[in-house]
Amino acid sequence: MNRDLVIGMAGSGGDGIVSAGESLLTAAALEGYHGVLTKSFGPQIRGGESSFRLRLCTQKVLNSGGSLDIAVALNWEDFLKFGGELPVGGQTTVIYDSNTNVAPDRIPLAGVAPAEVLPVPIEQMARDTGGSDRAKNTVVLGLMSGWLGIGRDEMIAGIRKRLSKKGAEIVERAEKAFHAGLQYAEQHPLKTNRLMAEPPATVAKFVVDGNDLCAAAAIVAGCDFFGGYPITPSSEIMHFLGREIWKYGGTMLQAEDEIAGIGAVVGASFAGKKALTATSGPGMSLKTEMLGLASIAELPLVCVDVQRGGPSTGIPTKGEQSDLLQAAFSAHGDVIRPVLAPVSAEDMFPITIEAFNLAEHYQTPVIILSDQEVGQRKETAEPIDASAVKLVERLKPAEKELEHYVRFRFTESGISPISHPGMKGGNYLASGIEHNEHGAPTANGEMHSRMNEKRLKKFSPLKQRRDLFIIEGNADAPLGLISWGSVAGCAIEAFQLATQKGLRVKLLVPRLLYPVSEQVYQEFFASIKRGLVVEQNHQSQLFRLLRMFVDVPRGIETLAKSGSNPITPDEIVDRLRQISLALQREKHHEPSGV
Amino acid sequence: MSTLTAKPIEDYTAKDYKSDLKPIWCPGCGDFGVVQAIYRALANIGRAPHEIAFISGIGCSSRIPGYTTAYGFNSVHGRALPIAQGIKLANPGLLVLCAGGDGDGFSIGGGHVAHAIRRNIDITYIVMDNQIYGLTKGQLSPTSRRGLATASSALGSMEAPVNPLLYVLGYGAEFVAQGTPADMNGLAKVIEEGIRYPGFAFINVQSPCVTYGQEDQMLKAQKAMMEPLDALKHDSADRLAAMDLAQAYGDKLYIGVLYRKPEPGPTFEYLARQRHEALMPTVKSRADVLNVFRLKK
Repeated sequence: MNRDLVIGMAGSGGDGIVSAGESLLTAAALEGYHGVLTKSFGPQIRGGESSFRLRLCTQKVLNSGGSLDIAVALNWEDFLKFGGELPVGGQTTVIYDSNTNVAPDRIPLAGVAPAEVLPVPIEQMARDTGGSDRAKNTVVLGLMSGWLGIGRDEMIAGIRKRLSKKGAEIVERAEKAFHAGLQYAEQHPLKTNRLMAEPPATVAKFVVDGNDLCAAAAIVAGCDFFGGYPITPSSEIMHFLGREIWKYGGTMLQAEDEIAGIGAVVGASFAGKKALTATSGPGMSLKTEMLGLASIAELPLVCVDVQRGGPSTGIPTKGEQSDLLQAAFSAHGDVIRPVLAPVSAEDMFPITIEAFNLAEHYQTPVIILSDQEVGQRKETAEPIDASAVKLVERLKPAEKELEHYVRFRFTESGISPISHPGMKGGNYLASGIEHNEHGAPTANGEMHSRMNEKRLKKFSPLKQRRDLFIIEGNADAPLGLISWGSVAGCAIEAFQLATQKGLRVKLLVPRLLYPVSEQVYQEFFASIKRGLVVEQNHQSQLFRLLRMFVDVPRGIETLAKSGSNPITPDEIVDRLRQISLALQREKHHEPSGV
Repeated sequence: MSTLTAKPIEDYTAKDYKSDLKPIWCPGCGDFGVVQAIYRALANIGRAPHEIAFISGIGCSSRIPGYTTAYGFNSVHGRALPIAQGIKLANPGLLVLCAGGDGDGFSIGGGHVAHAIRRNIDITYIVMDNQIYGLTKGQLSPTSRRGLATASSALGSMEAPVNPLLYVLGYGAEFVAQGTPADMNGLAKVIEEGIRYPGFAFINVQSPCVTYGQEDQMLKAQKAMMEPLDALKHDSADRLAAMDLAQAYGDKLYIGVLYRKPEPGPTFEYLARQRHEALMPTVKSRADVLNVFRLKK
């Protein structure tokens, strides 16, 4: 019996690969299993290659795992295009369509000896039962249901629900295709048992993806305006709000460009509303001007960057964590903008709520660094209780303050009460020009200095927010593991595995990336002799950012890979083990008495 | 909005809209006339200053919101229109004015004008067109005439100017007018009419730059050449006739309303309100949005 299985499947765009993955996840989740489903595509709009990987588990997982336990290739050409995203190893059961006319000992996976290789007449069964090769994905669902022992009734119900509009005949054919796969699996047991263990007792989960959940969280946070421009892989946020925001009295504007999208958001915020924009790297490059304006005009807004491979157009459909330095530093001038990053799709809810709260409290733009993985993967999640959400609203001027209102009044906290058009007595001039307390333009050096100080010092309490960091392990552990964003989902699991293996390691995952909280890191590093910073970018951007602000111990190494090169928990554990061995050797060689 | 309580119209005078900030403009700048005309138009309309949002970009003319008592936003170069649209959509009850120079509107921010027009959000956009970049000390602007020698075109401009009037008419603007501080009554009137128009209104103002402008652009010269459209018996409901007149931009100075759509189209905010009225009763609380994530058999 298996508690943790990774299934990967690839084919061409018309094969319904993604919908098969979603059906499997939904059916398994209905039975109470946990899962993470990632999808990957070629750049083509139609056709082209398409794949999913689904990790099914009896407990919550935060990443889509390492090598595949079951690989399904509808054709080899498309399967091979995914390379390291669908890694086949010695433990993999490889299923492929026998119509490819490839002998089991000649499959095109060089240097790999899978546990089992099984050609299956998938297309043949689809034609015989479903009447066309379009039923191939349904046959595969039947196969998986049989071999994994899951989701049979749920998938049949799903087929009926999905196809009911197309008529009874289509439903009947699809059911036949499913049963053909199921029957084939029953008649051809796998050499390696792939049956899933019993699911945990409690069912009733949510299935979420980061982009949709971000949009929904924005509505719960009280967001009344979205302005943005279509860009992969963030557009689902705009799509969701384009359907939903009107129901809650809000407005969505698909702007003429990225600049106008965030420009309208700046305007909506000036008018007193909570407002959101979403984009990816190329859009972030265009939005920086407005981020700077929102910083100096002290206007709250939330900007989501669903990161993809960069620079420039880069790899639009694949995730990367290479926008960190841009998020922290891109606008000109002396500026701090809070940067948050969720570690999973589920985490997008609290992170988005937090982003709105920070924006309102500190009167600042806040950036959420999501990525394609977190944004577009589907995962099981605990039900969300919106009534438990605590919302922060911007500090409004009191009645008395409106008698002689001073918008940018110097206060101890650096935060000044903010009015908005329509509020009598609150009239003021917002500007990108340096201004005095009243908002009047100034070029005076002393005033510029004091205003910079006001706008920077207001963030000091933010650095004390330890709840925005995941810190685990013994405080005196000599090995440190640091990671952020979607890759932290791998690091958290690697930390658990390494701890089980007896490594003395502790974990730090910042969900607040900027401003850098020196104190949190210094405390974490106090016991650290050696360690590892894991991230999905080429330059080790977090590592470099930390070195700017914190005394990073010399024994800290990096595990950094460009996007589209998966990082797995096992790989992190291997590196930690090597580092641990090096640390032991070091101790061994230490002269006594030192 | 509970605070939207305008005083009776007769209670407001032009000076209620004038702030204490002293303009940085050069003595004799056309923009002094424009801001005066805006005070007068607003006084006639009679909305309380706190119900007015006045947004600009960057440039000499973009300083203008600060010289009014309205909520002002002196934003960044070329981006006044997107910000103004966000404000109006966030609170359609506000009177939203937008202003800037010809560089702001037809060069760096030129891409936004077309989209503000086709959305037809009820904003009045006043461009102070002086055919030069003044704040950066005298470079070519998008409306500079071909051949003009400036700081950035010592040997003369090699480009034809943008025609702002034809541009906005071409994109389907429903209200298009031109004015000049050389005719203060006419200017205040077209601004007032633009504000009263229920949709996006564009007003081009020939506002001379006394420091870097040409002799034939000064108010005195404008007074001699301006031709009020009323006197020409122009039918402002005739879009093609308006385009015909607009073609003379740069050669002739027509002032008044070139085009006013006889049957105004729907504004974006009107369509949004219809959508709100239809959809808002379908939900009970913001938490309802989470239902889409619930697993259903």
